[in-house]
Amino acid sequence: MAEARSRERLLLRKALSPSYACATPLELGGLADGSLARPATARLRDHVSGCARCQTELTLLKEFDNAAPRPDEERAVSWISARLERRFSEASAGPSPSRIHHGAALPRRSRFMALNVGGFAVAAATLAAAVAIGLREGRAPELAQPSATAPTVLRSAGITTLSPAGDLDAPPNELRWEPRTDAASYSVQVMEVDYAELWSAETHDASIALPPAVRARIVPGKPLLWEVVAKDAAGRAVAWSGKQRFRIKT
Amino acid sequence: MPAGGARGHQSCSTPASLAVSSSDGGDLEALSDADLVSNHLAAGGGGGSIWLQELFRRHYTKVVTWCLRVAGDREEAHDLAQGVFLKAQRHLGAFRGDSKVSTWLYSITRSECLNYLRSRSSLNDALDDDLAEALPDDPESRPEHVFEFRSSVQAARALLDRELTDMEKRVFTLHYGDDVPLLTITRLLGLENPSGAKAYLVSARRKLARALQRWRACERLNA
Repeated sequence: MAEARSRERLLLRKALSPSYACATPLELGGLADGSLARPATARLRDHVSGCARCQTELTLLKEFDNAAPRPDEERAVSWISARLERRFSEASAGPSPSRIHHGAALPRRSRFMALNVGGFAVAAATLAAAVAIGLREGRAPELAQPSATAPTVLRSAGITTLSPAGDLDAPPNELRWEPRTDAASYSVQVMEVDYAELWSAETHDASIALPPAVRARIVPGKPLLWEVVAKDAAGRAVAWSGKQRFRIKT
Repeated sequence: MPAGGARGHQSCSTPASLAVSSSDGGDLEALSDADLVSNHLAAGGGGGSIWLQELFRRHYTKVVTWCLRVAGDREEAHDLAQGVFLKAQRHLGAFRGDSKVSTWLYSITRSECLNYLRSRSSLNDALDDDLAEALPDDPESRPEHVFEFRSSVQAARALLDRELTDMEKRVFTLHYGDDVPLLTITRLLGLENPSGAKAYLVSARRKLARALQRWRACERLNA
């Protein structure tokens, strides 16, 4: 009976997992608010109408967008929100707007000119921001860039990945992450953006070399995902990295 | 308070709204989400900033509500939501402005919540055992036989699509596709019937079992 249940679960998982044609959450968001490019809209709408997975994701996205606490949730939501607000206010280390420029009434172009005379540092930061968020092309998934100032995620069930992440000049030779003291081994997986597996392996170290056959499939401009799961001596999963994205620059 | 924010590359790549008064919060509230992201990054993007605080403030309620529904516990929901916002802060430089900030936050929230649920998968198994007790015990009626006979994932998808209602499909997808516990599905989908997602799952499985019986009858007729 238990074996049959396990078989059933495996098959259902396969049937209900995202397929190559499934939309990403960002695409579904664009579909829902009408901002998706027209050719992509037609293709995705056809797919979503017959796909239980995409319909479920779309429902969840709408629920999230409209999420408001129900009466029995209000106190807890207020309490958590207040704690988060304190947490992120205390972490504030950036400049106040007044240190950059005053003059909200200026037209957009004039304000940008005012920014330019505000100093080289701000201009450089502006350029960096423009490059980071405005000048990228295509609709590849968001890419994480390693940051020396990045805050540490404190949750105990996480693994901090080191590389690869974001845009790379060449295919990575290995996957690296920070070791965990409670891990006896690690299971790693490299995936397409639709979560189709390219390669997986087990290791006892906090890094693993990518075989040449896998590296050959990492082509410029194509985003890929990877994930590492830490396991204890009994083989039980104890921590996850979440999916990390990277690609080779075109 | 604006929650959605403007979209598009122009507002995101040109941090024109850096020219905002700090004397009151009114101007901050007038900025789109994308402008807040742009200003935060233009100011260096490290630590926190008044723009980041405003951006997060706009989205605390939806992220926290979602995390509470996933975790079902105030303390754990707090840790989960904190992880979402820390991750958002860390990856903000990768936000390209071609989706709403709330959609981008949803993708992070979804990923963090699924990781959290996976870390509690042993509890999910206990719940499944409870469910199994409630199901018919005739092994011939179990839907896996449908899939064995059809022997393909494609056939399974077609059968689910044909036999189940939209809500049953959603419950099935979340429970079997993502290992989301039934109580969490009940909260996430706002199901108000007495037994929540469990009722949909039991109903769906009975439908699949009946489909199996029909299929067998056809096979016998064709034999």
